[in-house]
Amino acid sequence: MSFFGFDTSLPNQGKGAGREKRTATPDKPLDFDETYQGLGEYENEEDDYLNNETFGNATDLGTDFDFGYGNGEINNGAVPTAAQVDHGRSYASAATTGPAVTNTGYAAAAPHSMDEGMDFTPMESLWTNQPMMMHHPQQPQHPQVLSMEELERQQQQQQVGVSHGQQQAYMGMPPMPPMGYGYAPQAFMPQAQVMPGAAYPSAPQGMPPQGLALPPQGMPPQSMPPPGMAPPQYQQHTLAMQQQPGAHQQAAHLAPSVVSPLAQQELQQSPHLVQKAAHPASAAVSDFATPSPPHLINSKSAQGQPRLGSPSQMAPSSQDSRESTPRGTRRGSMRKHQEPLSQDDFKRLQVRQAKVDKILRHSGVMTPRDKDFITRYQLSQIVTDDPYNEDFYFQVYKIIQRGGIVGESNKGLIARAYLEHSGHRLGGRYKRADVALQRMQSQVEKAVTVAKERPQKNRENFDGAKEGVLGKISSAKNSKAPRRQLQIPQQRDEDEDISSSAIEDVVESLNGVDISSSSRARRRSSYAFRSVDQRAVLSRSGGRKFVLSLIETVYAEVLDLEALLRSGKETDSTHLWESLHIADDAYEVSPFISILSFDKGVKIMPRIFNFLSKEQKLKLLYCFFSELSHLNIIVTSSYKTNPDPSDSQLKKIELFQSVFLKIIVSFLSSSAEFLEVLGLLLALVKNNNVSFISTSKIGLNLVTVLISRAALIKQDVSRGSVLSTVEASSWNEIYDKLFTALETKLAAVFPPEEYTSRVVVTSSNGTPTSATVGQSSGHQFYDQSYIWQFLASLALSGKLNHQRVIIDEIREEIFGTISRAEQLVKNVPAEEQQIALYQRDKLYQDLNLFLNVMGLVARDGEISELK
Amino acid sequence: MSMDTPLDLLKLNLDEKVFVKLRGAREMTGVLQAFDSHCNIVLSNATETIYELVDGELKSSTKGSEMVFVRGDSVTLITTPSD
Repeated sequence: MSFFGFDTSLPNQGKGAGREKRTATPDKPLDFDETYQGLGEYENEEDDYLNNETFGNATDLGTDFDFGYGNGEINNGAVPTAAQVDHGRSYASAATTGPAVTNTGYAAAAPHSMDEGMDFTPMESLWTNQPMMMHHPQQPQHPQVLSMEELERQQQQQQVGVSHGQQQAYMGMPPMPPMGYGYAPQAFMPQAQVMPGAAYPSAPQGMPPQGLALPPQGMPPQSMPPPGMAPPQYQQHTLAMQQQPGAHQQAAHLAPSVVSPLAQQELQQSPHLVQKAAHPASAAVSDFATPSPPHLINSKSAQGQPRLGSPSQMAPSSQDSRESTPRGTRRGSMRKHQEPLSQDDFKRLQVRQAKVDKILRHSGVMTPRDKDFITRYQLSQIVTDDPYNEDFYFQVYKIIQRGGIVGESNKGLIARAYLEHSGHRLGGRYKRADVALQRMQSQVEKAVTVAKERPQKNRENFDGAKEGVLGKISSAKNSKAPRRQLQIPQQRDEDEDISSSAIEDVVESLNGVDISSSSRARRRSSYAFRSVDQRAVLSRSGGRKFVLSLIETVYAEVLDLEALLRSGKETDSTHLWESLHIADDAYEVSPFISILSFDKGVKIMPRIFNFLSKEQKLKLLYCFFSELSHLNIIVTSSYKTNPDPSDSQLKKIELFQSVFLKIIVSFLSSSAEFLEVLGLLLALVKNNNVSFISTSKIGLNLVTVLISRAALIKQDVSRGSVLSTVEASSWNEIYDKLFTALETKLAAVFPPEEYTSRVVVTSSNGTPTSATVGQSSGHQFYDQSYIWQFLASLALSGKLNHQRVIIDEIREEIFGTISRAEQLVKNVPAEEQQIALYQRDKLYQDLNLFLNVMGLVARDGEISELK
Repeated sequence: MSMDTPLDLLKLNLDEKVFVKLRGAREMTGVLQAFDSHCNIVLSNATETIYELVDGELKSSTKGSEMVFVRGDSVTLITTPSD
């Protein structure tokens, strides 16, 4: 028993036998063999794993644990003296070193071991046989070291503890110096004591000595072997020292998988343990008291039976009476109950103080957070989906491996272990729900799920950001774009898409255009010639079929609304608005823009506008101007993207001009405020490549409409009230932006000769359109009036330096037009003079539209000031 | 708009150019103006292509019409033109 590092010498009187021994080996270093007396050979180390609970926690004041501090201390401190205590290196403290250290680290190492004791108590039967077997060989070898007195005292203590209940035991500490025995059974309960050892040292102090003697009774079965060794108590100091650490380790290994859980429990428990310690009489005692009495009883009865029977059997063989007559000792215990213990109290107090010091020395080195962190870290290594099961199997494995149990008992043990552990886990049996473990698990789980989700989210974000870059991602489903029943793959040149988008990005960055977040999300702004392929545009706004179905829906809505209107009912344009999908961000290109790609979509627009509120119209136009580059008609009408327009395309342009452009103009002139016009213009400039748009007739028309409207309002306003400074400055700003975008490319608004002639040929072959003018179908020529209108409005709104830039850039066009006009008249034969004159007048007329803005006029081949 | 029947798909192509294959080796392209459940269709700006074998050679002739009614029982296929 001493094996476990107990100085059996009791604080006061307990020095009897132990003392003698100690004196016998005065200053010599302890020889292992000597002290051990070969017992180690019999010792089954595996059984030591509960040493900690058995002894470490219940260290006595006078225990001579030496954890490497040499013999001197042992010799000196066989009985802890006040001086020793003062050193803070008392044996008691030394004894608690293991636990204490852990305590500082975990704040709970001690309870930890106790916990294990608790856990395994039910498995006592496991050990009853085994330990016994070990005893027999050992005991004969042992000289009895414990005197009867000692034994009796211890027994007495035990008795007291039993009879008075543990509460008393705790309280009664002071009066029971020899308590050792008395407390052995209670060793289980003292969990609280261990931890708060400092706070409640008495119990632990008492323990050590008895621990040695009592193991059979109260101690976990594993401690059994030690009993035999109890006598040579203090020779075993060394052993104890050696073993104590081992015991701790064992304890730690006890349930490897449970280690950290235990630690947590300890953490968790330590607080209230401390509290309990503080109030020994309170819950702690009662808590532990309730379970333990049964144990005591059990153990007692067990003694009577198989297990205890063996001690009695041992009695003859063992010279030490203590174990042999548990009952007898108990009987005797009553006697010495009332020994005066004032000195003991004092000593205890000192030791207690020492323990407090000891504990405090390293306390605070780690903050609870640190501990928590470490625990979590450890936990993270072992937490699995089903930690309980792993624990359970390990427990069962342990039981099986420990061997010695066969047949039914084995099953019973396994079952019991199962129940015990499950109960323990769930806080069932001992009501010790390990909340900390659960919390930790949940934390880990959370962390895992977060980690799992993160990549997914990233991928989603990625998809969102890059949607459309590689073509439409069919798998991108969301509430706004659910998977469609029929999805016909669109033919699309993805490489082209990529490169064009790359170009777009470059252009974007070069232009330094800041794109609003919404348009960035959708990448609606389009530059260059990405939109040339109409199919691509369609597919980026949901596909041709989707757009067509939208148009049908819009028609249906409009028809409904018109029916309502006819019947004089209230009209609600909400559904119509929704079916237009103007604010629909689910597509790269607004479906509304694609609706305008179809003639029937354009044709319905006037009817739509009948039902929309002004706000809705504004939104619609904002969307329209923002994504102008995607507009099919722009692409079609640009000489750059469509150098050879077909008859049908020209018709489309014509249709668009006559229908939608008309709507815009009428809306702008009738109801749009100055700032609203500015907003539309800004949308156009910000999100589009203006220089590209200006190469198309429709685009130029639209820009012209906006600028001239703004200029007109501005003039109106300045005639009446004064334009607010905000309005004026924003107008200047936007105009500057527009002008910057057009600068150096103004000459590009004039389509090249080939284009105009082709248009003329095409349109003269087919149905005449407004693209050309002429008195007869045989003498059509390209109508450039829209270009001059644009330049005129641009110049009108600009300052002098703007006008200079414009003239600089298009000087050649101006003079070219004049010369062309003059050439017409000169070169044509007489019979076509009329036609030529008409053309010349038309050219001059258009040119002067622009020149007049700057106070100039072109006439007869010369430019003069306007009078 | 519900898209339940094949003819609903056809509805999407109203006012759009369609290609119609007919019995008797005939094809038509034109703008779909109207249709009904029998697949009777009305095309505007329609061009009819008639294929025939003359002495073992395939020859085709075209015929244009501003507006044409095609009886549904001769329609074998309606699709969007490939151009």
